[in-house]
Amino acid sequence: MKLKYRLPKDRQEMLGLRDNEEIKYCAPYDLAYENNKAEKGYIDDGYIVVTADTKNGGRLFVTKADKIVHEYELGKCDEVKCESLIDNGILTVKKDGKQYCLARFSMKHVARFAYIAKGADLIAKGKDREVVSTERDIYCDKCGRALPGTSKCPHCEGKGDTFNKFMQLCGPYKWRLLTISLFMIFSSFCSLFTPEIQQRFIDDSLRDASGTTADVLRFVFTMLGISVALIVVNVAKNWWCVTLGARISMDLRRKLYEKVQILSLSFMNKRKPGELINRITRDTSHIRQFMESVFGNIFSTVFTMVGALIVMISMDVMLTLASIMFIVVVIIMNRLWWKKIRRMFRMQRFKDDKVHSRLQDVISGMRVVKSFGKEREESQRFIALTGEFADVQKNNETFFAIFYPLLMFVMGLGMYFATYFGGTFVLDGIMTPGELMQFISYTGILYGPLQWMTNLPRSILQMVTSLERVYDVLDEIPEIGDNQTCIEKEIEGNIEIDNVTFGYKPYEPVLEGISLNVKKGEMIGLVGPSGAGKSTLINLIMRLYDVDEGAIRIDGTDIRQITQKSLHSQIGVVLQETFLFAGTILNNIKFAKSDATFEEVIRAAKAANAHDFIVKTPDGYNTYVGEHGHKLSGGERQRIAIARAILNDPKLLILDEATSALDTESEYMIQQALERLTEGRTTFAIAHRLSTLRNATRLVVIDAHKIAEVGTHNELMEKKGIYYGLVTAQLKMQGSMPIENPEDLLEKESEGDTTGQGDKE
Amino acid sequence: MRPPMGPPPGGPGGHGGRRRPPMEDFDESKFLEQSKDLLELRYIDDKNAVFKRTEGGFVSLDYTDKEGNVQHYDRVGVYRTFPMSNPDIFISIREPDEKAREIGVVKDLKEIAKETADILREQLDLRYFVPQVERIIDVKSEYGYAYFDVVTDFGNCRFAIHMSGGGVVHLTDTRIMITDIDGNRFEIKDVSKLSSAELKKIDLFL
Repeated sequence: MKLKYRLPKDRQEMLGLRDNEEIKYCAPYDLAYENNKAEKGYIDDGYIVVTADTKNGGRLFVTKADKIVHEYELGKCDEVKCESLIDNGILTVKKDGKQYCLARFSMKHVARFAYIAKGADLIAKGKDREVVSTERDIYCDKCGRALPGTSKCPHCEGKGDTFNKFMQLCGPYKWRLLTISLFMIFSSFCSLFTPEIQQRFIDDSLRDASGTTADVLRFVFTMLGISVALIVVNVAKNWWCVTLGARISMDLRRKLYEKVQILSLSFMNKRKPGELINRITRDTSHIRQFMESVFGNIFSTVFTMVGALIVMISMDVMLTLASIMFIVVVIIMNRLWWKKIRRMFRMQRFKDDKVHSRLQDVISGMRVVKSFGKEREESQRFIALTGEFADVQKNNETFFAIFYPLLMFVMGLGMYFATYFGGTFVLDGIMTPGELMQFISYTGILYGPLQWMTNLPRSILQMVTSLERVYDVLDEIPEIGDNQTCIEKEIEGNIEIDNVTFGYKPYEPVLEGISLNVKKGEMIGLVGPSGAGKSTLINLIMRLYDVDEGAIRIDGTDIRQITQKSLHSQIGVVLQETFLFAGTILNNIKFAKSDATFEEVIRAAKAANAHDFIVKTPDGYNTYVGEHGHKLSGGERQRIAIARAILNDPKLLILDEATSALDTESEYMIQQALERLTEGRTTFAIAHRLSTLRNATRLVVIDAHKIAEVGTHNELMEKKGIYYGLVTAQLKMQGSMPIENPEDLLEKESEGDTTGQGDKE
Repeated sequence: MRPPMGPPPGGPGGHGGRRRPPMEDFDESKFLEQSKDLLELRYIDDKNAVFKRTEGGFVSLDYTDKEGNVQHYDRVGVYRTFPMSNPDIFISIREPDEKAREIGVVKDLKEIAKETADILREQLDLRYFVPQVERIIDVKSEYGYAYFDVVTDFGNCRFAIHMSGGGVVHLTDTRIMITDIDGNRFEIKDVSKLSSAELKKIDLFL
């Protein structure tokens, strides 16, 4: 992201920069803010400029047109901040204990000014560090168009891209394509040759009744031969086209699936799952359909049409013109309606996506819908949506049902003209009846595919839209990826978190300046209020997201330098939401290590205190879990997840509220097992129930984005800080009520289903 | 519902005690007080609060609580609780820090002194930025994005939205919210008031 825009020369002169002063950051802002009031209006000639001065520390300017609205010596400011408000942001400075609002900007600039404010703040605090942003700009520098998640602008650098992509897709199948083309040429040659034979037969044998029975037979067999050859060639051609279509769509589907797996979570969070599923299934099948029904005919049709036209012109130019003039009418009609057709199809797709998303939503949330008795309302909403979709679909189909017969009729008119003029030519003796037959046949050949070709825009468009949608995902560059210098690494378990700052949005840091050294085998308990950033920290350690600043190192190697496969295969995770795949318990446990032996699986399950309940189910380890399978309780799911995490013998174990859904007895059992398991392994555990972290080597209290306290249980108890407060609170409350977590009471937020929040009197 | 804990052992902890950790010493009364907070809706009106504009463009507050203690805040946050449906009622006044604890609620801007209401409105105008689309000049779609050229109550504006994602959300049948790729939101209050030419340009999203 660009943090230093070019400031127009006269504006720069206006600032009156000192000798040692240079512009460090500069960007335009876009909302009017005057006399301490937010005005209703955009402005387009205002800049926020931050300078650095080797002697005096630098200044902060806010300009509007040819005036300097604000000027601050950074050295005298306590703090420079970009505050993110609702759909906008403001730049504030604090000076002499008072806070001033300087400028206001829309979301377009919020992230940028978050960086710039940080840079200015560093200068104000006398730190010599320049802030850089690794974020990509989302607009093309040249044309201002939005970039679809890629660094290349589709307009400036990618013209004809869709066509190129299509050719790339076909690349591996070029021999097959060549064969198909040969078949196509052969079949068009046959179609072109047939009227010629017919003409000869009529004029030479039939007209004066001069031919013999042998001539008739010869004609019949020639025609039969050509027909049979055409059928064989067409069957073969279609066969190859269908296979090709299936192959290509399979390729795309695989690529898409792989890509979706590679793309970082932040990409997934931006899209609706229903929509991604649609792209993988539906759009790829559109491409398949195109290959099957359109692509296979495209060359032969064009070849046949051109051939027919040449022969027709060679026979009679005037007659040709008379018969083809309606083609022009048809093409003009099509052109005019093109836009409408396009919009109609986009619309249909749009509505379809909506129906799908809604369906997904309601079905996943069925329990909530039912428990609140809202089935009827939900069906009503769904009925409305499907109704809308059906309306659009109906309108589209009606449109085509009316439009196409009309089009065909107009095209048919040409044939009547040709017959009329040709007929008079025959009567005048300019043309033989055979030639007229031949000419009319060619007109048929010309108009026949034209009808099919009017369908072509629709098919091509559908294909191009699908292809664009598919490539929209394929072209996305994963924010987290392996680069060439990444290595496979055997992890020992020393983890160094070095001054890490991270936010899901860069201008809203969730963690700030976190530093922590963890030695191999330590168990770190993460404690703190909900939303403090505990789960975020482990997301970073697992590298589901990349840090914004600082680094996380394992055994001295930055995790960005370790291949993801190598990293993830050595981490065992039990997450807050336990997700089990549709399949058997066995397969779910073996997910982390597909070649695990039965003994290993049982040992892992035993350690997770899951073996007993699994064996008690009718199908044991073969019990099917998932959508239509055996219903497991929250605790049982969690125990399976724990078994899955420890099966792989990971060097690094991450437990995010791993035992929150368990009853006290089970938790105690697993604690015992985990104690043995975590020996020699570096473990990060998050728990609200502090007793869960009894065995932790060290406890880290995260509060307000920072590490507030670090130490052993005893150290922290002696310190009498936040941890002490939490522990005492839990102990005291356990005495009078079943709340194990004071946070639940304070934050109005319930997690898990075991925490009772109500009265118990 | 009464918080299920014994009677507070000590006297009221004072206002500083309302804030959460660091807790020097565990004091159950603080928790009790905070849990009471959850169930209480404190109204702010002309009688118990004095709002003043600050030099820096924000607003300060002197709030007198039930016990008669006056608490001064250099700056308070002014939040809407129903920004879409009822922007002028239940204005939540909150502490300026990140926890943004609620100090109280102004029930209706129309029921307080005009001068105070004006001060609060200025803060709301600063905090919220959702331009209203008044006219649609052009909508063009290219490479998976739709480019809008519109006139809003903030003036002319061009923005781009994703064709695929949920860039357009229906708040009601006629009211829509458009989110552009930067995260700016634009509102069309009543779609039915657009001309048929304008409607045609956006009918894909309706």
